[in-house]
Amino acid sequence: MSSEDFRSLLPLLILAAASILLLVVIAVRRDHRLVYYLTVAALAAALAASLIPVEYSPRTASPLLVIDGFSLFYSALLNAAGLIVVVLSYTYLRPLREQMEEYYVLILLAVLGSVILAASRHFASFFLGLELLSVSLYTLVGYMVRSRDRSMEAGLKYLILAAAAAAFLLFGMALVFYEAGQLGFSGIGKYLAEAEALSLLIITGFGLIIIGIGFKLALAPFHMWAADVYEGAPAPVSALVATVSKGGVVAVLLRFYSEVDGYQFPVLALLFSIFAAASMLGGNLLALLQDNVKRILGYSSIAHLGYLIVAFLSGGAMAAGAATFYLVAYFITILVAFGVVAHLSSGEQEAEKLEDYRSLFWRRPGTAVVFTAALLSLAGIPLTAGFIGKFYIAAAGAQEGLWVLLFILAASSVIGLYYYLRIIMAMFASAKDPAQRIAPLFSGVGLLLVILTVALVWLGVFPQAMLDMINEWVAG
Amino acid sequence: MEEDMIQNEIYWPLVAYAGIVLLVIGAIVVLSYLLGERHDDKATGEVFESGILPTGSARLQFSSHFYLIAMFFVIFDLETAFIVAWAIGYEEAGWPGFIGALIFVGILLVVLVYEWSTGALDYGPQGQKIIKALQKRRKQQKI
Amino acid sequence: MILVWLITILMGGGLLAWGAGFINRSWPRWIALAATLASFSLFLAFAFSVPGIGLGQPGDWLAEYNAPWIPAFGVQFHLAMDGLSLLLLGLTFITGVLAVLVSWTQIRERVGFYYFNLMWILAGIAGVFLALDLFLFYFFWEVMLVPMYFLIGIWGYENRIYAAYKFFLFTQASGLLMFLAILALYFIHGKTTGNFTFDYPELLGAELPTRTAFWLMLGFLAAFVVKLPAVPFHNWLPDAHTEAPTAGSVILAGLLLKTGAYGILRFVIPLFPEAARDFAPTAMALGVLSILYGAKLAFAQTDLKRLVAYTSVSHMGFVLLGAFAFNIIAYQGVVIQLLAHGISTGALFIIVGCIQERIHTRDIGQMGGFWQKMPGMGATALLFALASLGLPGLGNFVAEFLTLLGAWQASILWTALAALGLIFSAVYSLRIVQRVFHGAPMAKPNLPDLNVREWLIMAPMILLIFWLGLYPGPVLNSADAPLRNILAPFAKEESSIGIAPEEDGLSLSLQKPETEKRKVINSK
Repeated sequence: MSSEDFRSLLPLLILAAASILLLVVIAVRRDHRLVYYLTVAALAAALAASLIPVEYSPRTASPLLVIDGFSLFYSALLNAAGLIVVVLSYTYLRPLREQMEEYYVLILLAVLGSVILAASRHFASFFLGLELLSVSLYTLVGYMVRSRDRSMEAGLKYLILAAAAAAFLLFGMALVFYEAGQLGFSGIGKYLAEAEALSLLIITGFGLIIIGIGFKLALAPFHMWAADVYEGAPAPVSALVATVSKGGVVAVLLRFYSEVDGYQFPVLALLFSIFAAASMLGGNLLALLQDNVKRILGYSSIAHLGYLIVAFLSGGAMAAGAATFYLVAYFITILVAFGVVAHLSSGEQEAEKLEDYRSLFWRRPGTAVVFTAALLSLAGIPLTAGFIGKFYIAAAGAQEGLWVLLFILAASSVIGLYYYLRIIMAMFASAKDPAQRIAPLFSGVGLLLVILTVALVWLGVFPQAMLDMINEWVAG
Repeated sequence: MEEDMIQNEIYWPLVAYAGIVLLVIGAIVVLSYLLGERHDDKATGEVFESGILPTGSARLQFSSHFYLIAMFFVIFDLETAFIVAWAIGYEEAGWPGFIGALIFVGILLVVLVYEWSTGALDYGPQGQKIIKALQKRRKQQKI
Repeated sequence: MILVWLITILMGGGLLAWGAGFINRSWPRWIALAATLASFSLFLAFAFSVPGIGLGQPGDWLAEYNAPWIPAFGVQFHLAMDGLSLLLLGLTFITGVLAVLVSWTQIRERVGFYYFNLMWILAGIAGVFLALDLFLFYFFWEVMLVPMYFLIGIWGYENRIYAAYKFFLFTQASGLLMFLAILALYFIHGKTTGNFTFDYPELLGAELPTRTAFWLMLGFLAAFVVKLPAVPFHNWLPDAHTEAPTAGSVILAGLLLKTGAYGILRFVIPLFPEAARDFAPTAMALGVLSILYGAKLAFAQTDLKRLVAYTSVSHMGFVLLGAFAFNIIAYQGVVIQLLAHGISTGALFIIVGCIQERIHTRDIGQMGGFWQKMPGMGATALLFALASLGLPGLGNFVAEFLTLLGAWQASILWTALAALGLIFSAVYSLRIVQRVFHGAPMAKPNLPDLNVREWLIMAPMILLIFWLGLYPGPVLNSADAPLRNILAPFAKEESSIGIAPEEDGLSLSLQKPETEKRKVINSK
């Protein structure tokens, strides 16, 4: 293992070492603030370390992991998302009577699992990363057991369904291994390229793997857990579920599919088309019925992953770029959205009912504007990153002629608009009590939200730099 | 056309399997509906305990520490399995393997320290806690 | 570069007004007025500096700005102005200034955010009239949507939330269909030529299979027909118009509907000439249906604002009828109709707004005899009602006359039916005047006549409607060259069918444009 190998693995090593270090620190002295600063430092270091080794990539550091532009880009993205979640968590957790320190260890481990997924080229690391991610999330989702009623329900639901998903995934891997005799993605790809006729078993295996991934991405019809988990988890953890957990799985899906050339199976494409259509329509339709902002965001995430699968399905030259760009836009947007929810929550009570947002604009204009920008971005209105992302997806789909899916995308976007507008309308509704309390946004979290919103608009107006970066790192 | 034939040939076991699954589930549901006894007499819902009235709930609460210890056992047991696996390949693994095992044991050590300090390893009634509670109660009684 | 400034001044003014709203309540008004006046004067300076404006110089763009925006997708920031956009931009800025003035006393709360939205709507509309890159066009198309939604949803009347939803969902759904059509056009053109671009002049020559072209045209048309609106898709309009604040209604009627007409003229017909010709009978039928049905519904309303809203449906029917008649006379009529309708309906909405500010209702049943107390308003209302029914000497007459004249060449049946609309319009227009301003006076003691600010708003509108009616020459000349460019693909076929090409039909035009100067639109 050369020093360059070592350096290229640095993001992973930093995250792993930091989580061990944190355990020692907690064993010696429980100090929320110290643990928080260490976590921020670790994630920032891992983020920086992800940006450095691009010069000598691609590098296959071990049979399990590959460090190339793609995995480094995702690593940077996931670390950045984790960093933002941690910052959001600190002020959110401070007033609560929980033991907060382990929370940060778990976040580090979740990010680590996700980064491993992004770098994996082997079923072993795929499963390892996925489990590391999931096990951390079980606990994080149920972290507020003492102060919230629904926390336990959410945690249990997530545990059972994610465990079932892992079982599907493992069984699928076993079937593929039985046929191909390989666990590495490239080995499987080679087997498939040489095989004359594909057996039923291997296709079933792929189908089972896709079902496992579908669970993790909350694609309909495997979406049942999403709304409950988003609702029951603390707001920053919901953001983590929406970003870090999905980002890693999308990354491994993209890599796996391109290495084994999964596009050659029409059955799987059909399966994905059905998932995508069901997610887009189901997510948006179910969200219409909700009055809880966190549930709405949960259902909307189902729909958004459906959009993303359209890009993924196009499989052309644009697929990876479109999916990645969409993910970046979605990350920023959903972090802002959950950031606002976390920002408005106080101690015992989360700001999750639509009522909590009524006439927010007249009480806290800054927060309301930030949230409006995020919702418009989710709806894909121009001037926001969401618009360019959706455009890129539509372009990728149009290039491959996926017109049916694109029509569903357009139709479900219109349905989606309705509930985004509902939240926006509630925020702009006139205040009933004449005393207009104007609370400024100038806190640490407020500043973070403003920066993210600026990034959101910047990506919507000048996306070229990000597109170039994605083309160079991910697609190239 | 020929391709379709091949595809169909590949898929028929899957379809058949799905069909059998549906059939079995359907049979279970329908048969139990048709054959099941339905009556709602006075004592239908009561627990049958050989004619003796049951006392108390059957759901006993174990101390949650019980589960914790069980989990520790599983975890440390697994870790032993890993180390044994490394020991078998000791010669082949060489120095990198040794360093790896060292890191692994180091992590175990950190975890042990952590568990110890957070009190996860204390089993049974804790003297200090009991005394504290007792003192608290006395104070309250005095007031 | 001036084109960019026209838009950025409005956007910057909006942001500034919003910011100033936190400090002082009256600053946003002045900032908005300054911004609209600044862009208007910039526009006027430009319009008078162009040589040959009003002389009907055909051919190139009057001004153009082109910069790369997202090269990865072949998207450019491409703005350009020709005679057609020039006229509509003029209407935009005039209406913009008036809308600011109209809201002066009506809007009392959240003033800063209100003017922010107002400015951004105007910027979006100006962008729509200028954009020559289809991506950019869609971008502006959406930019004008969101602030309009806020304008209706926050400052509207009783049923505002419902109206705002309806407006947004109708336009967004149809807009997405257009978006898909744009994408399809982009890829088909890119795949055949290897040049992936959204640039309008490039796409003009795209060769499409007939069926595909038809579907794509329908995608574009969906967005524009909803915006116009033509009858089966007009559903959102009465609600949006009725519930919007006065300035919102003025902008809706005066400008937003025009973007639909502009889209048909600028994009649907030049991009898909053959498909448009195949579709023409249906489109003309829809136009006639809009004229008659809109007029009928207008007559049936008891809400004064709703009544005026339905007259818009009726008037915009003429636009659809004329746009699919494919000859220069009808097209000139369409352009004048756009301007005249913008002014006359805008003025009627302002009058309704003034009445509502005074008696706090829009119910016609509760009005009557206003003439005695407010003779100034009565006279103004009568003037614009007469304009609306097409009295010779006022703008709408010229517009409807030319449209019908042109449409006659295309289809005698539909034109005859459309002409019936003129009678209906007389019925509903006179009903307004009779029920509201004559009849038994309402027992309301305090009804002040138009004040200085309101006269200041009305005066330019009165002047403009007379100008359009009496001396439309400059307008006709300005629009002539762009319209002939649009019609270029049809010119040959007309002569082959046997109808004489109507070169000299326009006696109203000051100077006959020279035919050999006609060029196909190009970007150079």
